[in-house]
Amino acid sequence: MTDDAPRTAAFFRLEGVLLRRPTLAAAAYLASNGQGVGERVARLGNVALAAPLALLGELRVGAAQARMTWMGLRGMSEDRLVLLGEEYFEEYLKDDVTDVGKELLKQARRDGRRVVLVSDNVDHVVGPVADLLGADDLICNRLELRHGKATGRLEEPVISGNVAGPWLRRFAGEHGVSVDGSWAYGASGADALLLSAIGQPCAVNPDRQLRRLAKDHDWPVVDG
Amino acid sequence: MGHTTYLEAAGAGALSVRRAVQGKRLLVTGVTGFLGKVWLAHLLQNAPDVAEVIVLIRPKKGESASARLDRIIERSPAFRALRDAHGEGYERFVRGKLRGVEARLTQPLAGLGADAAPLLADIDAVVHFAGLTDFEPDPLMALDANVRGARHAADLAALSRGRIYLHVSTAFVAGVDTDDVREHIERGLAPNGVRFSPERELQDLEAELGRLERKQDRIDACMARAQRLGWPNVYTYTKGLAEHLLEGRQDVRAATFRPSIVECALSYPFTGWNEGVNTSGPIVWLLGTSFQRFPARAENVFDIAPVDTAARRLSLVLAAQLAGERDAVGVYTCASGTVNPFTFGRAVEMTGLAQRRLHRGSGDRWRRNVVSRLDAVCFGVQDEQAFGHARLRRLARATRSWLRENPPKEQLSPRMHRKLGGRRLDDNVRSCSMKCRTADRKLGQIDDMLRQYRPFIHDHDYRFRTERLAALSERLAPGEREAFAFDVADIDWRHYWMDVEVPGLETWSIPILRGEKVPEDEPRVVANARRTRSPRYGRSVDAAE
Repeated sequence: MTDDAPRTAAFFRLEGVLLRRPTLAAAAYLASNGQGVGERVARLGNVALAAPLALLGELRVGAAQARMTWMGLRGMSEDRLVLLGEEYFEEYLKDDVTDVGKELLKQARRDGRRVVLVSDNVDHVVGPVADLLGADDLICNRLELRHGKATGRLEEPVISGNVAGPWLRRFAGEHGVSVDGSWAYGASGADALLLSAIGQPCAVNPDRQLRRLAKDHDWPVVDG
Repeated sequence: MGHTTYLEAAGAGALSVRRAVQGKRLLVTGVTGFLGKVWLAHLLQNAPDVAEVIVLIRPKKGESASARLDRIIERSPAFRALRDAHGEGYERFVRGKLRGVEARLTQPLAGLGADAAPLLADIDAVVHFAGLTDFEPDPLMALDANVRGARHAADLAALSRGRIYLHVSTAFVAGVDTDDVREHIERGLAPNGVRFSPERELQDLEAELGRLERKQDRIDACMARAQRLGWPNVYTYTKGLAEHLLEGRQDVRAATFRPSIVECALSYPFTGWNEGVNTSGPIVWLLGTSFQRFPARAENVFDIAPVDTAARRLSLVLAAQLAGERDAVGVYTCASGTVNPFTFGRAVEMTGLAQRRLHRGSGDRWRRNVVSRLDAVCFGVQDEQAFGHARLRRLARATRSWLRENPPKEQLSPRMHRKLGGRRLDDNVRSCSMKCRTADRKLGQIDDMLRQYRPFIHDHDYRFRTERLAALSERLAPGEREAFAFDVADIDWRHYWMDVEVPGLETWSIPILRGEKVPEDEPRVVANARRTRSPRYGRSVDAAE
């Protein structure tokens, strides 16, 4: 490959492809470890409200589910978010990386692709995962902070099933990446837009919805 | 490094600590204390061309001054970095630079008598760290250590060649004057704005304390005096009085260094080092228990100065004094709250989070499963919570009283008593009563501690200005920035509290609160120096036995 040739990237949806735990579990962990018992109950209740939306799927409810999930952390201090994020990573995520995900990551690096992790989780939780996996970029949600406390809102752009065509082309343009030569790995129906916008889509341990789409579009499917 | 090199290194107007202390003889008190030790080791390591440091040491019961100095040199972790830097040559270096002299600062001329004059003839500056830092000690002791001690140390400076005196005080002499505390003192103007005569106050205090036989009466009398002038406790009152007495002296060029709360080292002698029980130790210990309601205002500044930053900044003031700078007199405050505020709310929350880390790995099931899931919160003392310590104490007392007044044997019929366990029931009730007594005693200790801390953690929100010290730091010679500069704005409080302060306290301070010993370093080399008596001063203790 010459220096002038557009580079390629490998987009990994973190949840499902590299990690088994869903985003909602991280939000529930942070909420249930608030400062004080009453605060924990209130926060956890708020996160629970997002569960039905999660069942409907990101494609149907869009960013609303992500917003609802993290709204319960309003007023939580940045110190607590950072430290609980590290704690959650140490306890639940560090050893949770799937074998198939590790293999695909290795393959992407061997092929010289830029490794981009995409997650609807927040940076306090998935930041350490990106460091662990040596990712080049991490596209995730960021909690809006004011005076050292979370406002309960997410910074724009909110990451959910919207990581798709326009977003992908903008990212590719900014980083000199070829969309046609790049790969994307998804695991749920919510990743369908991302996979359909990329040159080389791949479904990894897909749910029923994505498996059907993969079959219809003749995308490769990796189970493991 | 030679003298010219220092001159070259320090540009015009620049402040060079190394150049200022080169070839100078310093007389230092209080190096057995936390800040004193770190400052001394740091200075010897980073300005090794100082001619000599003579340390005045008080013998303790069962330990001579000589033994105390040897212990510091050989075993104190404060000297670990210096020991590592010099390796095999450490003994020779440190014995060549340090000389201990037995002294009692409570006596005029530190009890040196006729030895004082020849000793002081070639002293360039006196640095006075010694003092009593307990919040509510016996005022007689506080008066001796903090007022008379400071006065006697200044007397030594007045008789010395350099007539330079650097007095280490505390930022909290500001008392009730909490907003925008300037690096300034106006003699005879108390923190609450009342005018007073420092000499007269001292005389009256001495007279009043002399009349009182009980320690508690002396504390009460001293507290009343302190509060009348706007100081919250015996410690700040005696330290403040010493500053006011010093301010009037014309026979020395005096500067006062006021650190805020001196805590674990950021990097020197090594990350996390602390000694003894300082301000945060009891707080962190308390929040590591099931006691989770902390009476502090979350938004109040918890003004911390890591010990090594305080040591570096103190060297700057001394250097300015030794360099003969005309402005190097008056007050210098070493604090962080104005530039980079850290609040009690953050401290309490992060202490809880740090304790989680510690408890989750604990073998104790109570700690692992229960205490680790509790989180401390701040609350105003007027909003006593349902499970506040005062209520718990009342509950413990009432339970014990009820159990004592209603023994099961008397309250139950013999048949019911037998059915409920008989003697075993009596034993259980007795045991429960004992536990209530222990809880009452422990909660009483906590209550007492929180009462003493209250002015600093709840009632007052201090904002200390530090421009004078910052200006000195900015003028530091470029080659010395690594060794002596430090900007408190650079402190990442989350990292400091989680990775430095709490682990440091868990290692070096909290074991003391639990009645355990903290480790000392193993001596690197068995000292082979012989005891020598200085031909000039009969009480020198400059060599190991």
